[in-house]
Amino acid sequence: MRRPRLASDLDPVPGVAALALFGVLAAVILTAGFDAPAGFEAGASVMEGIGYALFDLADQSPLVTEGFLFAFLAIAVVLDAALDGALLLARREGGDES
Amino acid sequence: MTGIYDLVPAIALLPLVSFVVALFAGKYLPKKGALAGIAATGGSLVLSLLVALTVATSDGANAGYNETLYTFLEGSSSAPFSLELGVLVDPLSALMLVIVSLISFLVHVFSLGYMNDEGETGLPRYYAGLGLFSFSMLAFVFASNILMAFMFFELVGLCSYLLIGFWFREAGPPSAAKKAFLVTRFGDYFFLVGVVAIFATFGTGAFAGSESFPHLAEQALHGEHAVNTFLGLGEQAWFTVIGLLVLGGVMGKSAQFPLHTWLPDAMEGPTPVSALIHAATMVAAGVFLVARMYGFYALSPTALGVIAFVGGFTALFAATMGVVKQELKQVLAYSTISQYGYMMLALGGGGYVAAVFHLTTHAVFKALLFLGAGSVIIAMHHNENMWDMGGLKDRMPVTYWTFLAGSLALAGIFPFAGFWSKDEVLYETLIHGLGESPLLLGGYTMGLLAVAFTGFYTFRMVFLTFHGKPRTEVAEDPEPVRWNVKGPLVVLGVLATTLGAINMVPIKKLTGADIDYLHQFLDYGPEAFLTNVHHYGELLENPEFAGYGAADIGTTGLLVSAALSLGLALAGAGLAYRLYNVPEPVEHTDRLGRLKTLLMHNYYQDEFQVWLATGLTVPVAKAADTFDQSIIDGVVDGISTVSRFAGRGVRRIQTGVVRNYAALLTLGLVLLVAFFGVTGGWF
Amino acid sequence: MIETQWYLLLSAAVFSIGLFGILVRESALIYLMSVELMLNAANINFVAFSLQHGNLTGQVFALFGMALAAAEVAIGLGIILVLYRNFETIDVTVPTTMRW
Repeated sequence: MRRPRLASDLDPVPGVAALALFGVLAAVILTAGFDAPAGFEAGASVMEGIGYALFDLADQSPLVTEGFLFAFLAIAVVLDAALDGALLLARREGGDES
Repeated sequence: MTGIYDLVPAIALLPLVSFVVALFAGKYLPKKGALAGIAATGGSLVLSLLVALTVATSDGANAGYNETLYTFLEGSSSAPFSLELGVLVDPLSALMLVIVSLISFLVHVFSLGYMNDEGETGLPRYYAGLGLFSFSMLAFVFASNILMAFMFFELVGLCSYLLIGFWFREAGPPSAAKKAFLVTRFGDYFFLVGVVAIFATFGTGAFAGSESFPHLAEQALHGEHAVNTFLGLGEQAWFTVIGLLVLGGVMGKSAQFPLHTWLPDAMEGPTPVSALIHAATMVAAGVFLVARMYGFYALSPTALGVIAFVGGFTALFAATMGVVKQELKQVLAYSTISQYGYMMLALGGGGYVAAVFHLTTHAVFKALLFLGAGSVIIAMHHNENMWDMGGLKDRMPVTYWTFLAGSLALAGIFPFAGFWSKDEVLYETLIHGLGESPLLLGGYTMGLLAVAFTGFYTFRMVFLTFHGKPRTEVAEDPEPVRWNVKGPLVVLGVLATTLGAINMVPIKKLTGADIDYLHQFLDYGPEAFLTNVHHYGELLENPEFAGYGAADIGTTGLLVSAALSLGLALAGAGLAYRLYNVPEPVEHTDRLGRLKTLLMHNYYQDEFQVWLATGLTVPVAKAADTFDQSIIDGVVDGISTVSRFAGRGVRRIQTGVVRNYAALLTLGLVLLVAFFGVTGGWF
Repeated sequence: MIETQWYLLLSAAVFSIGLFGILVRESALIYLMSVELMLNAANINFVAFSLQHGNLTGQVFALFGMALAAAEVAIGLGIILVLYRNFETIDVTVPTTMRW
């Protein structure tokens, strides 16, 4: 195995658009003035907060973590669907031309 | 007697009724519609005489009638004129009504002999055509505005087409009918443009009254009234243009050069039709129109000059062509063209009364000559060639003597009617020419020369037809004609002899007797109409307008002018007498050689007009067609081609490669953000 | 504390690198990797703003984003398999039938 080489057979011209986008975004970000970040309370642990929320003890933690619960449920469903879909796509023998 | 004016529309409507009767019920009637026509035109004649009597004997406002009968389009604010049908009765139209209805009546009676007795078929169509023509012509005469006049002008053209092409199963008549219609229509195109111009300029087309367009034109030239002019012309120049446009229609209808080519071919129609339409009435419509609008034409010396010159030229031009013709009706056709040239010369030369007088006498003697020719044609079994005739004077005395009276009138021999009228035409032109318009002298000279030719061809015709020995068997034993042919001939013969008495101006000037009845009659009419002779005279002499001055050549000048025209006529007649009043005349015109060929071919005018159509108009039409096909259609097709081509180019953006779409997306985003950033002041 | 704009700048840089990969590379697998980079850049952005505002919603969204990225990769790999079966290659410039 050779060591990885920089791909030289590619046409980098369309990449200029990406660089231009980076330039514009950087210009916008650097000239926008941000206030000081309002961080979280020192020592507050997100994991503990999620745990408390899971057991319906949300007021034990100073953080608002109920949102994570919905996220976990949705993620479970979506990943399950994605897995089934991938299996379906991969299984077709001979491939259909659609 | 004002009640009589309410009956004026009936003068035209009676022949219309006979038209309907002949068309629908003609085949059931014993004479196929002739009696209905005779009754209708007889009624019109009686009414016309009553109207003329009323005009002559009333005074003031009752001596005329100018009413609108029916408005078919009201004026609005954007088009402030209304289109209407109305009746105008003044001395000129009353006189013309009598002439038209008289000739029409006599022609209907004559047709009993020419058509019915000869066993012609299709007679209901013939009498229907005559009835429709009489209706149109009479309505044209009493039209109160120029649009109505135009409508009936066109109708008489249509009737002329129908009647010339009466024997449509032969080759000649339909072609002649088409030619007549097309040539007059060509002139009528300019007339229509003129009518529209009159409405656009003056807002009215009325002929008489203080709101009439001649009066408005006069006020405009005085600066008292504002009119619209077009093409950036001044007022007098624009009025001249209008006058010349209307003159186009006049020249077509009255067969003046160059639109005269239809009239000789129109002789293919039955002879009574030629007598009615192409001698006395329809061709008079053009001259009548100029006389009707004389208050307008008198404002423009250029238009009058053109009229006079065209008239004088046509008079001479047609007279030269009449000299070599072999057929009876052809000589009379060219004679008609020539005589209408005289009337136009008179109108252009400032002799309004002279023109109307010549119109009257010409209607009588030309109708007489045509009906006499019809009688001869019946006798000769429809052979018109004069070289096959001869010696008919002993065999057809009534025809001969009436024809001779008509010929003497035509040639202008004292004391027949034609002498007085033609002499007055030439006299008026002469004194106005010697006045301040020397150009009129050119027209006068041509008219004077034409007198000699007229005398020659008229008597050549008489001598070849009636004198000498009969040249064919038919001429030795002609078919007899009956009272329905001889009656009208006698009536017209008497009139041709005596009609000059209505306006014997030379005798008036010599003796001071007040016998210029026609002049006085035409001076009648309500002052408010502004259509009487002394008003025209004022307009003519006003230097702002025509500026015609009348030179005073005294009684000696008058006698010299009369002697000159009489002398030339007698000279022409005398030459014809010497050449043709022999037992066996020969075609002396052969001695003219190539000139005769030119004249026989009518100066190649017919070929010229055909060339104008095929050699000039067709290529222009083809070029226009090419322009339309390639350029206009090409532009329209080109627009669609451009969009299809552009579409085919633009769709190549959709390559199907996701990378390209992503690149375009990114590019667009970058540009948008940068744009909003710059204009929103983010940086 | 690192100031927020450096996080955002990092996010923009990673996003641009991913975009560069999409625009330039022709292998479908590298394409998927570039898309992953872009999604993760967006996640960094969310978390940075979550710190900025002191609100955990940003982190929830980032969690969503990561899960969805994973699901998308799963499906994407399946599609690449079908693509390979039909076109015999995973070069993204080859299948161009969905056009005019």
